[in-house]
Amino acid sequence: MNNRNHRNDMPDLQNKDRKRRILIVEDEFVNRELLKVYLEDKYELVIAETGTQALEALRTQIDTLSLVLLDLNLPDMHGMDILREIKKDPELNRIPVIVLTGDTESEVESLNTGASDFISKPYPRVEVIMARIRRSIELSENRDLIRGTELDQLTGLYNREYFYRYAEQYDLYHQGEDTDALVVDISHFHLINERLGKACADGVLRRTGGALLAAVKESGGIVCRREADTFQVYCPHREDYEAFAEEIAAAAGEGLKARVRIRVGVYSRVDKTLEMERRFDRAKSAADTIRNSFSASVAVYDDALREKEVEEERLLDDFPEALIQKQFAVYFQPKFDIRQPKPVLCGAEALVRWKHPEKGMVSPGVFVPLFERNGLVRDLDNYVWREAAAQVRRWKDTLGHAVPVSVNVSRIDMLDPELTDTLRGLVEDNGLDYGDLHLEITESAYTEDAKQIVSVVSGLRELGFRIEMDDFGSGYSSLNMISTLPIDALKLDMMFIRTAFSEKGNMRMIEITLDISRALNVPMIAEGVETEEQMLALKKMGCDIVQGYYFSKPVPAEEFERFLI
Amino acid sequence: MLSIEAMRGWGANVDEALVRCLNNENFYLMLVQKAVQDQNFDRLPEAVAAGDLDKAFDAAHALKGVTANLALTPILKPVQEITELLRGRTETDYAPLLSEIRSQRESLMQLF
Repeated sequence: MNNRNHRNDMPDLQNKDRKRRILIVEDEFVNRELLKVYLEDKYELVIAETGTQALEALRTQIDTLSLVLLDLNLPDMHGMDILREIKKDPELNRIPVIVLTGDTESEVESLNTGASDFISKPYPRVEVIMARIRRSIELSENRDLIRGTELDQLTGLYNREYFYRYAEQYDLYHQGEDTDALVVDISHFHLINERLGKACADGVLRRTGGALLAAVKESGGIVCRREADTFQVYCPHREDYEAFAEEIAAAAGEGLKARVRIRVGVYSRVDKTLEMERRFDRAKSAADTIRNSFSASVAVYDDALREKEVEEERLLDDFPEALIQKQFAVYFQPKFDIRQPKPVLCGAEALVRWKHPEKGMVSPGVFVPLFERNGLVRDLDNYVWREAAAQVRRWKDTLGHAVPVSVNVSRIDMLDPELTDTLRGLVEDNGLDYGDLHLEITESAYTEDAKQIVSVVSGLRELGFRIEMDDFGSGYSSLNMISTLPIDALKLDMMFIRTAFSEKGNMRMIEITLDISRALNVPMIAEGVETEEQMLALKKMGCDIVQGYYFSKPVPAEEFERFLI
Repeated sequence: MLSIEAMRGWGANVDEALVRCLNNENFYLMLVQKAVQDQNFDRLPEAVAAGDLDKAFDAAHALKGVTANLALTPILKPVQEITELLRGRTETDYAPLLSEIRSQRESLMQLF
């Protein structure tokens, strides 16, 4: 495919002296010989006498063929079926086909099916034949030249930019009709890539593209590859996309042992006054709501989602002002060492709260993931670090002592080349020890770009910062990798506590993570502990440190002082 | 020995056919000799006899293309007629047309 597009980039400059190749599909000797005599001086000819031979030649030589001359009356199949086959196959459909026929009816049908022209039988004058052939090749090469920049090389679908233009054209021809915008993506595509290799993953993408194209072919509509493993479809409205999703998934996974899952985000009956890109943003938002769902494969953009987006948009707008006005409050949740007969305060986690002037308290569950997606979390993290460091200083000054405070370091912070300097600056400016700040880094950060992260974290640790791996158990680290990581504590993902105590007796995951912490010789911190029963069970299993509502919810600094005194 | 004159005498539209064959007489005569061997001449009556009008149409249609290209008018005429009847899968007595095609083909072969 890639070669093909290359070739088409400069058809005339590079191939000036090279004969173009034409596939003649004709079973009748006489008709074939006539064409040969006409064409052989000017073109290189490939001959197929049956439909099977024709398809074989197309599949193996498509990159070098410039045109197909197709007789409709073949011994093993009808030429029209070959034409349909060519037109629905994304790898073949760019090749121009001239149909050879003696019937007016077939002429019309073949043009409607996608033939670029026809040559009637008995053959017209040779000059006419030559001119039609030349013109079809020229048209197709000019189109390819344009399309070289319009099409995604792997799938042959439109790329995103051109897709939007074609979608607008589509609207022009379908005014007053209900239209849906879809964003289709392949769940856990990176795993397919990793497990089965790039060639296989590319096959999944090609088949997904082909299946989407086939799916809209009947109803009308257009398809593009949005990026990586995400596609967009703009098509006439339909009520139900469940069967559609299954059909695409089946085609995508064809020939694979592993099942391929497809997620479809639907923005149904689009508002045509909305910008084209925004319509697909909505479909994407819908798709994102089932990102982590194993059961749903179709999600529809609805009013609730619209309100959520409007709300999020407002929060993003309000953020810069909120930082300046110090609307973000840093709260502290105590951590207790439960290895002693009586729990002993051993630290705190700094957690951010947003006191919004109009909305009141906004949950971090709402704004933290939002800011993570938009990169604003870096500014927020920096703010929290500064506040936390200053607070530790104040406690030392007023109470004569403090406890280590853990702050969250987001994945995106790790990419900041200033990170180490910033953190070092905070410690030095406030006259703290490095051990006064613990850095919580989520497990999944390590798995995304392990090498880079490990080197940054190692540097921080050498300075004297303590590193806690947050949300342990939610990522996919291998045991082998964990043993080489620079960490000082494991923080058990809150979900484990919840499921362990809601599904009776399911303590196995906690036991395993405790085994790992022992093997690594680092303490295990359990967060989200809400009841005495949970605390006692964790203590019995050998958990070292506990944090959660059982001891205290996150509280403002003044209130936290009661734990320190 | 087949000749252009003999073809003309038999009824072929030689002038039209020669244009199509780039005025190469030998090439034309070679194609004519190949054309009369076309298997569809046998397939057509067989299919009609078997009542398989789909197959008969395909055979007639193919013959039409070939005989038209070579302007074998005496054969082309009945072939065109039978092709149109078969296109509609018309239930009719095909024997007269089949017999006409056969005898014209035989008379052409006599010229070889």
